[in-house]
Amino acid sequence: MIFRIAFRNIWRNKVRSLIVITAITLGLAGGLMAAAVMTGMIDQKVRSVINTELSHIQLHDPSFLKNYEARFVIAAPAELMKKISGMPGVKSLCGRTRLTGMAASPNSAAGVQIMGVDPERERMVTNLYKLIPDSSGGWFNGSRKNQVMIGHKLAEKLKVRLKSKIVLRFQGTDGNLDEAAFSIGGIFGSSNSVFDESTVFVKKTDLDAITGGNSGIHEVAVLLNDIEGIPLMQARLKKLFPATEVQNWMEIKPEMGLLTSVIAVEIYVILGIILFALAFGIVNTMLMIVFERTRELGMLMAVGMSKSRVFTMIMLETVFLTIIGGVIGMALGALLIAVLHRFGIDLSAMAKGLAAYGVDSKIYPFITREFYINLTIMILSTGLLSAILPARKALQLKPVEAIRIE
Amino acid sequence: MNIIEIKNLSKVYDAKTIPVYALNGVDLSFKQGEFTCIVGPSGSGKTTMLNLLGGLDSPSSGEIRIANTDITSLKSRQLIDFRLRNIGFVFQSFNLIPVLTAKENVEFIMQLQGVKKDQRDKRTLELMQSVGLGEKINARPAKLSGGQQQRVAVARALASKPRFILADEPTANLDSKSAENLLEIMEKLNREENITFIFSTHDSRVVAKARRVVTLEDGRIVSDISKN
Repeated sequence: MIFRIAFRNIWRNKVRSLIVITAITLGLAGGLMAAAVMTGMIDQKVRSVINTELSHIQLHDPSFLKNYEARFVIAAPAELMKKISGMPGVKSLCGRTRLTGMAASPNSAAGVQIMGVDPERERMVTNLYKLIPDSSGGWFNGSRKNQVMIGHKLAEKLKVRLKSKIVLRFQGTDGNLDEAAFSIGGIFGSSNSVFDESTVFVKKTDLDAITGGNSGIHEVAVLLNDIEGIPLMQARLKKLFPATEVQNWMEIKPEMGLLTSVIAVEIYVILGIILFALAFGIVNTMLMIVFERTRELGMLMAVGMSKSRVFTMIMLETVFLTIIGGVIGMALGALLIAVLHRFGIDLSAMAKGLAAYGVDSKIYPFITREFYINLTIMILSTGLLSAILPARKALQLKPVEAIRIE
Repeated sequence: MNIIEIKNLSKVYDAKTIPVYALNGVDLSFKQGEFTCIVGPSGSGKTTMLNLLGGLDSPSSGEIRIANTDITSLKSRQLIDFRLRNIGFVFQSFNLIPVLTAKENVEFIMQLQGVKKDQRDKRTLELMQSVGLGEKINARPAKLSGGQQQRVAVARALASKPRFILADEPTANLDSKSAENLLEIMEKLNREENITFIFSTHDSRVVAKARRVVTLEDGRIVSDISKN
């Protein structure tokens, strides 16, 4: 009966209850949208980092990671890669020569990471080949020697175009300085302008020819079937190759891991603030309800309704209000997110700014199931906490005084 | 046998500044089946007396024994339970729960007592019929007239099978026809089911129906007349 009374009491003043419910609904739907956009941006950035730059797992010689010295190559890379490619859960992998050097054009010069790759294997691990527009060449088209793929940001810096010549100067595995002219065969544009400005790709065979021997493999990049499989695979690889440093993408780019965690906390903080503000509205409404119903509450206590039941009734009314607003808000938010996830939010107007942060201009908002569960708990807690003050006010009423109030 | 015994009952307001004696050393008792009116001018102590009898307020001194329980010694929680099981209330302004139907209003008290559903349904129907509202059980208070609401309130007061019913000016907000009708119902319940009614009232029609009239003035009993 207390449930029934509490539920019906909500609708005694329909306008007021609907205002509170609407406030909760819009607040939550808005908060969810904000959270979904942020999650979508981060997810996109993570995907971009994995698909374009890092893949899921990378293996290096431990000494190489300290100063990126070219002499620290992976021992017996062919055998290592053969073993890894046969492991379940591995989608594809590739080996790279990774050298630090300079790229120079007649106009300018810039420090770059020179990646010596097998173009075909690289295609199976990263999506760089997709990031070269038709008008900007292609991913190592033809069999021409000394082709280089550079980012559009670097092209701007060096003031070069497709088929322009640039000189790459670097220290090879043997410690000697080498240099050679390369023709720009493709200009890629990823969502990360820093990557575009500092990374160039050449064929490993070309590097070998320039250095006069095998320039070695410094990096093996592994792409898995599923991002969830990273911890298990990483543990296996560490066990299998103890002399090699096995890192996942978050360890390679710790700032990305940190960003993901910070954004996750930030989303909860934003929703916490929204719910906190809504709680004040709920408390205010429920206090009004308690004051308006003083005589009725006095009567209930007079005829024998215990204080705990009165407390429960007010708590339930508050929780019902919150839950109704919460459920509608979550449903509305989920619907909006689903629609926008399908079509995406076009932020081309801010493309440059977003690219500086490595984010694409089209964002696909989404929210995890875990987040919905946590949000439900947060809403319920808000309802319960908001109910305490009004319910305590109700308990403080003295029936003998309350039943006389007009 | 007395079901209520009041000994040397006093209630003083503003005891620390200018004391006002709402009740001053009252001795009174009530027997099972009485139909008693407490009358007196405004400020004579009628409402205070009913509040103390109903355990809604605590006296400054004295003793109230109901069925051999000194209710002045009960703690708040015990008092709420005591009221639930021993006292029925009828208020001047009906005080029904507006979101419940007439039936649910009556049933509600029995639910608080933990009475089973089939028993509740049976008793609710009986009570609604006894107050002449058998066909209005599903109406909400807003759809009932003042007289009908007060009859539902009487049925609610009876639902807990109380030892007695306290009615604070029950006819004050009713037109004469409804008041007459309500009094007839209460008189019938008193006569046929031996239910004890204690009223406070200014209404001469209630006084005329009462079999005992206790008159208060300045917190003291100035007359106590039984008509039989």
